[in-house]
Amino acid sequence: MRPIGFSTGALAKGDFRRGLLLQRPYQPRVCAVELSALRDHELPVLLEAARALELAGFRYVSVHAPSRLGTLGERELFEALSALPPEWPIVAHPEILHTPAWWRTLGPRLCLENMDNRKTHARTIAEMRTMFHDYPEATFCLDVGHARQIDPTMSVALHMLLEHGPRLRQLHVSEVGPRGEHLALGATARWAYARIAALVPCECPLIIESVVSEAAMERELDAVANAFAEAPAAQLQPAPA
Amino acid sequence: MESPTPALDDLERRLGVRWASIARARTKTDEILARLRAALEGLDDPNCAVVVTGSLGRGEADDGSDADWLLLVDGPSNPDHTRLHREIGQKIGEAIGKDVGRTRTFGEIVASHDLVHYIAGLRDTNINLTRRMLLLAESRALTNPVVRERVIRNVLARYVEDRPVSNKRDTGRYDPIPYFLLNDVVRYWRTVASDYASKMWERTHDGWGIRNIKLRFSRKLLFVWGLLASFSGRLFDDAGSLARAGTEDQFVLLLLELIREQTDTPPLELLARVASSSGVKNETALEIFSTYDEFLGALANPETRKHLEELPFDEAGTDPVYEALRRTSSKFRTGINDLFFEQHPLLPELIHKFAVF
Repeated sequence: MRPIGFSTGALAKGDFRRGLLLQRPYQPRVCAVELSALRDHELPVLLEAARALELAGFRYVSVHAPSRLGTLGERELFEALSALPPEWPIVAHPEILHTPAWWRTLGPRLCLENMDNRKTHARTIAEMRTMFHDYPEATFCLDVGHARQIDPTMSVALHMLLEHGPRLRQLHVSEVGPRGEHLALGATARWAYARIAALVPCECPLIIESVVSEAAMERELDAVANAFAEAPAAQLQPAPA
Repeated sequence: MESPTPALDDLERRLGVRWASIARARTKTDEILARLRAALEGLDDPNCAVVVTGSLGRGEADDGSDADWLLLVDGPSNPDHTRLHREIGQKIGEAIGKDVGRTRTFGEIVASHDLVHYIAGLRDTNINLTRRMLLLAESRALTNPVVRERVIRNVLARYVEDRPVSNKRDTGRYDPIPYFLLNDVVRYWRTVASDYASKMWERTHDGWGIRNIKLRFSRKLLFVWGLLASFSGRLFDDAGSLARAGTEDQFVLLLLELIREQTDTPPLELLARVASSSGVKNETALEIFSTYDEFLGALANPETRKHLEELPFDEAGTDPVYEALRRTSSKFRTGINDLFFEQHPLLPELIHKFAVF
């Protein structure tokens, strides 16, 4: 069984405590979580609560950095994120990183995500290559919804896994709508994700970003688990020397 | 340069020649594309791309070139697309100052659905086939290149997911020839040639001269691109990526991407890659590219272009301008034939096995 769980933001927006609480009934099946602070005013609250949060049963915890800056400057954001427990990967959108030298000091804790078609970089294989060139130690959060929005055939996702697979830290899973909204998985998204499932290592956490109601959580867990049911048996062969 | 041409540059160096008209056309294309992109600043939409085809798509434009553009919509329909289309048309018209032609193949809103789903079968029209093939073979995005790439991948997925029976027979050995694509490429070339005759009939020979010369060079080059792109799995997998596939589905996605990479390669550059292969004689490469250079030089000359546009059909046998270009086109064809049927280390076998019977 792959580690699976929700982003607290998908379930409860900025209320990460509620986002955690909603997942309790599904433990131990749910054993991964991403604490969301997508709006920067949510970060100080998370920072204050971080060390005392009840995280029993979650084998994997990451935090999603704010997607844009409002109340915090870049330096304040960097310092706040650096002060979080060091074992939590920091998932970030590349567009908030304006001073690479600071962010590079996070090493593999910095987990960079591929973006959707509303952005101007980190969307394609070539753009990801450029990004990882700037952050050579960063790990990778493959957002399969974003990758599918860029390329429904999943050829781009396959090539991202081929090229950046060793960096892979976690997946973001949802169906991304035409305006970038995170929706529950439909049939065609499930079929698309199943095409690359065998290339995702068993231990890689699946973080669900689908915005669903409490009543729809189980269905979404099933849908995501089914999409990635194929075990990594048929790996790509090593590149020729 | 918008689309670098390392193989063409290498070939020039190796042969000690300079194809000035080809080089000038590339520079001119870059200038026009930059002008068009500047004109369309602010007219973007995340689900739409403005795409140009024709000489601009091939990197062979000159001052007399049309802007054969499309507003490619790949997402939810929206009544505002009409306004977007109108404003784009206006801006392109102001920037280029030429009409897009009378067939309505260009200058239109095109929904990706038709390009992806109506491949062959009863609903594939001549216009749809033309748009689809030109999107693959000779297109560039003026806005939102991600949308162009997305539609191209979806079209290619339709072609490569038609999997050959041999994949089922020999588990673990996958056939790199996309037969559906190859057949459609051949069909398109024959359609272009038939359409030439149809337009001769409908337009009572109006503009026949320029169409005839284009058929002999640039349209033929599109066919060449299509054949080479279809054989990508045998010709261009330098990195050995296809050998990495662990399953048939992975093979399909890797092959798809290999072919897609060729959709960013100008046809002349792709041709230069195969013309640089061992076994291909220098005289053959010279014959192909020098004659094409002559063709581009002729079209870039406003007087020659106008002459060809207005040449009466009855003067076909005696007109020195047309006759000189016709003779040049014969040399071009001879060079292509020598390359494809005799000298290249792989193409004669591929053409023999897959392209005709």
